[in-house]
Amino acid sequence: MRKLIVILIAFIFYSCEETVVLDLKQTPSKVVIEGLVTDKPGYQSVKVTRTADFYSSGKTPRITNASVVVSDDLGNEIAFVHNPNNHPDSTGIYLPETAFTGVVGRTYALRVEVDGVEYLAQDKLLPVTNIDSLKVQKNPDQVEDPKDEGKIYEVLLFAREPQNQKDFYLFKFYRNDTLTYFIDTDVYYSDDELLGEKIDGVPSPVYYGLNDVATVEMYSMSRQGYVYYNDLNLLLNNDGGMFGSIPASPRTNLSNGALGFFQVSAIATSSVVILE
Amino acid sequence: MFRLLLASVFIFLSLNILAQERYTLNGYIKDMGNGEELIGVTVYIPQLKAGTVSNQYGFYAITVPKGTYEVHFSYVGFSLQTVTVELNGNVTRNIEMANEATVIQEVVVTDRAIDENVVSIQMSKNTINLTQIRKLPALFGEVDIIKNIQMLPGVISAGEGTSSFFVRGGSADQNLILIDEAPVYDPSHLFGLFSVFNADVIKDSELYKGGIPARFGGRLSSILEVRTKDGNNKNYNVTGGIGTMAARVAVEGPIKKDKSSFIVSARRSYIDAFLKAADQDNLVHFYDVNAKINWKKNNNNRFFAAFYTGRDVFNFNNDFGFAWGNKTGTFRWNHLFNERIFSNVSVIASNFDYKLELKDPVQGFQWKSNLQELSIKADLSYAINTNNELTFGYHLTGRRFSPGKISPNTSGSIFTTVDLQHMYALDHGFYISNQQRINDALTLDYGLRLSIFQNIGSGDVYLYEDPQDNIDIVRTDTLHYKRFETIKAYVNLEPRIGVRYILAPGQSIKLSYNRMVQNTHLISAATVPIPFNTWNPSNYYLKPQVADQVAIGYFRNFSADNYEFSAEAYYKDIKNVTDFADNAEIFFNEDLSTEYRQGDSWAYGTEFMLTKVTGKLTGMVTYTWSKAMREIPGVNLGNAFKANYDRRNVMNIQAAYDYSARWTFGAMFTYSTGRPITLPGGKYEYGSYNPDVITERNAYRLPDYHRLDLSATLTPTRNPNKKWRGQWVFSIYNAYNRKNPFTIYTRTVQDKDGNVVGDGTQKEARLVYLFPILPSVTYNFKF
Repeated sequence: MRKLIVILIAFIFYSCEETVVLDLKQTPSKVVIEGLVTDKPGYQSVKVTRTADFYSSGKTPRITNASVVVSDDLGNEIAFVHNPNNHPDSTGIYLPETAFTGVVGRTYALRVEVDGVEYLAQDKLLPVTNIDSLKVQKNPDQVEDPKDEGKIYEVLLFAREPQNQKDFYLFKFYRNDTLTYFIDTDVYYSDDELLGEKIDGVPSPVYYGLNDVATVEMYSMSRQGYVYYNDLNLLLNNDGGMFGSIPASPRTNLSNGALGFFQVSAIATSSVVILE
Repeated sequence: MFRLLLASVFIFLSLNILAQERYTLNGYIKDMGNGEELIGVTVYIPQLKAGTVSNQYGFYAITVPKGTYEVHFSYVGFSLQTVTVELNGNVTRNIEMANEATVIQEVVVTDRAIDENVVSIQMSKNTINLTQIRKLPALFGEVDIIKNIQMLPGVISAGEGTSSFFVRGGSADQNLILIDEAPVYDPSHLFGLFSVFNADVIKDSELYKGGIPARFGGRLSSILEVRTKDGNNKNYNVTGGIGTMAARVAVEGPIKKDKSSFIVSARRSYIDAFLKAADQDNLVHFYDVNAKINWKKNNNNRFFAAFYTGRDVFNFNNDFGFAWGNKTGTFRWNHLFNERIFSNVSVIASNFDYKLELKDPVQGFQWKSNLQELSIKADLSYAINTNNELTFGYHLTGRRFSPGKISPNTSGSIFTTVDLQHMYALDHGFYISNQQRINDALTLDYGLRLSIFQNIGSGDVYLYEDPQDNIDIVRTDTLHYKRFETIKAYVNLEPRIGVRYILAPGQSIKLSYNRMVQNTHLISAATVPIPFNTWNPSNYYLKPQVADQVAIGYFRNFSADNYEFSAEAYYKDIKNVTDFADNAEIFFNEDLSTEYRQGDSWAYGTEFMLTKVTGKLTGMVTYTWSKAMREIPGVNLGNAFKANYDRRNVMNIQAAYDYSARWTFGAMFTYSTGRPITLPGGKYEYGSYNPDVITERNAYRLPDYHRLDLSATLTPTRNPNKKWRGQWVFSIYNAYNRKNPFTIYTRTVQDKDGNVVGDGTQKEARLVYLFPILPSVTYNFKF
């Protein structure tokens, strides 16, 4: 809702803009951790990097010598190893030594040690409701004026929102296995505060062309996860604190001043091929 | 409480005894031309070196020893009037003053008018001179008092195109904005491009920045009192104008000559007419309607009813829309108990509401919010004797806050109905103050306001394991309160003190101290409030905000009062200033109390103002140096930070030149230090995002702001046989086309079409600016 308002205000003001070069103070670099444990095989990973200068280009510095361990509330410990397949794009990414999947109801803890400093986090694996079906229809606005040529179909999501519990969701949309956003700073997330049970045909924010495979992933999140993605959204889409809130660091479950988040989720997935 | 009342009764009695052998001269002062009552007219008796000023209803009363006196009535823009009065008993003398513009040039002002700037005890107050601001350039040609208030010393604007203003280190919600005594909760049209005040119906407006009189309460930093015209009770008039953005018309006239009058005015923007013509589906408009009726039953009883409504309506493609607006109503009865006791009883209502609606079969919803208030006020003033004037009164206000209700507007909508708890508050204000003349040089004003505030039921209060934990919210209990049951009460005493000492003729020093208490809090974490913000009363968790301000000033008039000069310095300290946690969720949050963060704020500064009041060239130069800081536990890691509206140096120059009877030229220049802004200390990767690293709040500033506006007003020579009078106003906003910074945001480097450039790892900062050079033409008429 907040984002909507900010966009509207920007629309109303007759405004121009230009790129300026800021004279920014150097700040010491910080450790960034992006951890994910889910109930699906192959998703478990921890990425450890550092912050970079605002004006730097290319990937941010990777940390390859960290010690990474995930444990659950039964005392099981899984060590993560740095880029076991030596994939050049996976520098800084740690994968479990022995494959495992998360279990709904368990709490998972992450311990990352970088240069003698320990960063801790924990999060609970909450259930996620099923995606009942996906339907495809043309989006009239995209038919008229497509953002990407030929991408004029939207996917409609059908589900039942459990009304007896508090749920938080994160959505990811894939176009032929490529994670896609309508705008690069979009974050697709929701709580269920204002939602009724019937979720009948909520349209995707991402558009597809003929024969594309559209995949929707729905992640369960803890309240902590919702707070993180909400704050991240505010930060990515900030207006400089004029009508929106003043930019601030997202609140995270990581200790010791590390940036990023340790997310634990159940995933519901559904795919559809876009046909005429 | 009882003791205070008793004390005031005692003062009454004792002063009555002292007042024997004295008589009172009183009456109403009005404009000869249209019967409008004049506020702030100086009434001065040179023999006694004593005087008073007419109050906000145009009434004056002065009690002096028996005798015959020459009495001077003086008012800026009006000819001095001298009346000889023999006081063998109480005398009522209503005065009609002639506007200088309507008088033949030969009138010679024989006596030097004593001047309010130096002599009045009130400091830190600015009167908006509408005649003057009409000669000055205005954005889109729309004369706007709030845009002029933003130019006053000690007042800061967050950026052009906004209607919020910041007084002496206070935030935008710390200003009490009144139209005919009724509060206006959001004074903006089009998100602040214009204010809700239609200049055609404004009679008078004053801004109190310090030394705030005891009759005002409820906000910490300023009182903006706007009074609309009473309506001409002598002749019928139609005035109006067509500008670049809006058209306006006002009709006024007597209902019964000299007894009763009316005025009705309307203003509406007409951009939507063009948009419709251009087949656009995105429609926007705003309007204002002011109406007023005045009835003078007799000299002792006057009645008055005023009404205002204004609204903004936005509609996008017929499927998304929103609207907001204020409605206010004031009913007032001025009554003279006797020559010395003047009373005013008012019943005031105010309503602010907004709604948003999305029409969609799946995601359709309607969102409504409003705030209503009803108050009863009784104010009395008692002219005890030449040296003492007592004012006292009681104000009772009830408020109802409905922060939000969301409901689905189609059967297939994914939304459910959620109605956030309503909140209720009762606010009692008792005040008494006395203005006492000690001798020719020294005058004191001392008073006290007692504020008794109650947050009442019905309502539920949630108790939390940790009331400040806004992530892991654990409710431990719920307290239920019945209708009218007190949830929380706060009692505060607010002393108000003013001192004026005349150093020499035309020179004075003034001192003031005031404590202000605010029990109505704006729920906004931004710099500039938007119409979709809500308000909360002080409650179980939210404590009243309390401000103490001391100010000292030097006031001087030069060359026969052609020039007025003032220099003031102030220090303001605020306890429990309301702020919000970083990333606070302020919309639709049932646990909003977990986001409240209250702390300290302090501000200090100096203000200089030089005004040229008369002559062909008029205008003012102001300079302000100020600083405003905050330190709030839970915000910016608990470290002190610059307030969002902290601008160190501000300078404004306004000038109007009456070149001939046909042409008047105006110019306005403004300069200010850029506002503080939070900029990144780096960036990082998270998923495919590259967010900024935020370290310190408001550690940077936007580039400086400066702008020059010009205007020329052409009043064609009037055909004496015709009643029609027309006027053309040409203006240029931002004459040298400065790209003035509005805000800065960051993004991944993109091309013109919004496509990410390169590998998507590089970021850039974008400076947003609003208005380039903007010429405009307005035509005004009167008949």
